[in-house]
Amino acid sequence: MRIRAVVSATLASAGILLAGWQSGAHVAESASAVGTTAGTAGTGTTGTGSAKSGLGSSAGGSTSGSAASGDTSSGTGTSGSGASGSSGSSSGSSSAGGTFTGDSVQTRFGSVQVQISVSGGKITDVKALQLTDEDRRSVQISNRAAPLLRSEVLQAQSANVQTISGATVTSSAYLTSLQAALDAAHL
Amino acid sequence: MNTSTQTAQQPLARRAGAGGNPFAAQHRRRMFRGDLLTVIAWSSIAAAIALWLADGGASGFSTPGGTFTALGIVAGLAGMDLVLLMLLLAARLPIIDGAVGHDRALEFHRKLGKPALYLLLAHGVLLAVGYGMADGLDPVSEAVSLWVQVPDMWLAYISILLFIAVVVTSLVAVRRRFPYEFWYAVHLLTYAAVLTAIPHQFSVGGLFAEGTWQRWYWLAVCIGTGAALAHYRVLEPIVATVRHQLTVSRVVSAGHGVVSIEMTGRHLDELAGSGGRFFIWRFLAPGQWWHPHPFSLSAEPVTFGADGGGRLRITVRNLGRGSAALARLRPGTRVAVEGPYGLFSSASRSRRKVVLIGAGIGITPIRALLENTPFAPGEATVILRGHNQSGLYLGDEILDLCQRRGATLFHLTGRRPRGVSTWLPESESRAGYRLASYAPDLAGSDIYVCGPDAWARNVLDDARQAGVREEQLHYERFDW
Repeated sequence: MRIRAVVSATLASAGILLAGWQSGAHVAESASAVGTTAGTAGTGTTGTGSAKSGLGSSAGGSTSGSAASGDTSSGTGTSGSGASGSSGSSSGSSSAGGTFTGDSVQTRFGSVQVQISVSGGKITDVKALQLTDEDRRSVQISNRAAPLLRSEVLQAQSANVQTISGATVTSSAYLTSLQAALDAAHL
Repeated sequence: MNTSTQTAQQPLARRAGAGGNPFAAQHRRRMFRGDLLTVIAWSSIAAAIALWLADGGASGFSTPGGTFTALGIVAGLAGMDLVLLMLLLAARLPIIDGAVGHDRALEFHRKLGKPALYLLLAHGVLLAVGYGMADGLDPVSEAVSLWVQVPDMWLAYISILLFIAVVVTSLVAVRRRFPYEFWYAVHLLTYAAVLTAIPHQFSVGGLFAEGTWQRWYWLAVCIGTGAALAHYRVLEPIVATVRHQLTVSRVVSAGHGVVSIEMTGRHLDELAGSGGRFFIWRFLAPGQWWHPHPFSLSAEPVTFGADGGGRLRITVRNLGRGSAALARLRPGTRVAVEGPYGLFSSASRSRRKVVLIGAGIGITPIRALLENTPFAPGEATVILRGHNQSGLYLGDEILDLCQRRGATLFHLTGRRPRGVSTWLPESESRAGYRLASYAPDLAGSDIYVCGPDAWARNVLDDARQAGVREEQLHYERFDW
């Protein structure tokens, strides 16, 4: 009787763990897949998207549709870059000043979106509009990573900076959004 | 177990007429329930870890810091699951009590205490290390940072301190130094420990974030455990107390320092077959009402009329301060009751024949079981053990029952030999008697043992050496 209990308990537990692991492997794969597509396609399509909005502020409405690759909240992003486009057209092209908003990048810990202030062709400030906040541990990570990323970016004057260890997901989403904002500012 | 003595013998005589075992099916069912509960318990731990695996948790093992974090999360999930299992084991659920008995359930409960605490401590340490490596902080600074910066974490720190307090005061060595009431009060803090642990589980980790199915599972498990506790530890006792309306009718001496307390009440027909099982009694007299006493019925409930009105009896010895006051209980004292609990009843029978062995005050549930458990004449053996004849409490009643039902009765009196570990008196031990000398067909019998701990262990060892299987041994622990 005891043997029966031990054998069935072992089998049942192993089965449950295996099922969990299988569906988990699925989640991890799709998560990393989404992450990379969001990374590459994010810079790619948002580049074109914000380029369009840079060309003419009237095109801003249609851009939100084109950035379908995973940026659901790109509506706010495009409206921001739309506005920045108009400011860009008023004061010239690459040496423009003003604020430029990057796309909202989705991660499994929440979405990330940054806004840059540009003056005289230089990045003067980076503001995080949205940071990973799915749970409180993510909030803690975001609060630690954001200031570090900001100072690194201001120093490097580009999105080519090291990701913060322990905040890889937040960092890469942050830098992706930043790159979109830089593209919008033609920097 | 729902039939009284007189009617119970009818179906037995019919079913066992062919020489079969009338308890085989009941025994199979009980063993199956026990195994099923074991499987459910283990599966619940596996499920807790599977929740995390299904969330892609295993990918955390790719970095050193992630490995610490992953192990920390697994330890926390398994630890909390063990805590919930411990609560259920102590919740007096009928399915657990009926399958393994209340004392075995509490034995498991105690066994899980230390592993659960170790897992929870490991949870805290591993996560402080893992998060610290991710944040570039040493574990202590990380722990402080979590305390200060992450909401709900301060509650979790309080929780772990409470868990440590509860487990430490429950260690045998520590528990002996303090009165029962102190241990009980600290043990009640378990509820505070669990409640303060819950918020951070849902808010700090992403696993149980809003919108995940894992959140629903974990909520269901936590709420289910809470509901079971509220129902079986609070509601059921209140219902039983109100329904049975027990009052002390008289207190009579049953030997030196031993009294029988008789109580009258209503609907006692519902308690038929519970003779030998124990209830938790609270006598609602000044200075007494808060003190719970676990005592077995020393006789089958007696019912007078069709409405179920009747009488219960317990027989107790002046052991502690509380028990001494019981001898002075006034008739008319109201009694709050929880129960019946335990497997010291026909519900645990597995064989056709039965051997009942009691020592000292442990004789009293034997007396009740002798009255209600089914057996054919000649198929029961009763062995009573005491220092002297006056220590064989309720001896006259037992002799009378044995004569009426056809059971063989042995009185074993006298001191035990020095330096020898035996349950027998000196003369019998010298003569080389064993349990099998008194009850020849041990293999075909259920053996019920009730008495002091060390003595009972000797009886059980004797039985095991005679080849009796564990499932045939029924032992009521009194020291829990």
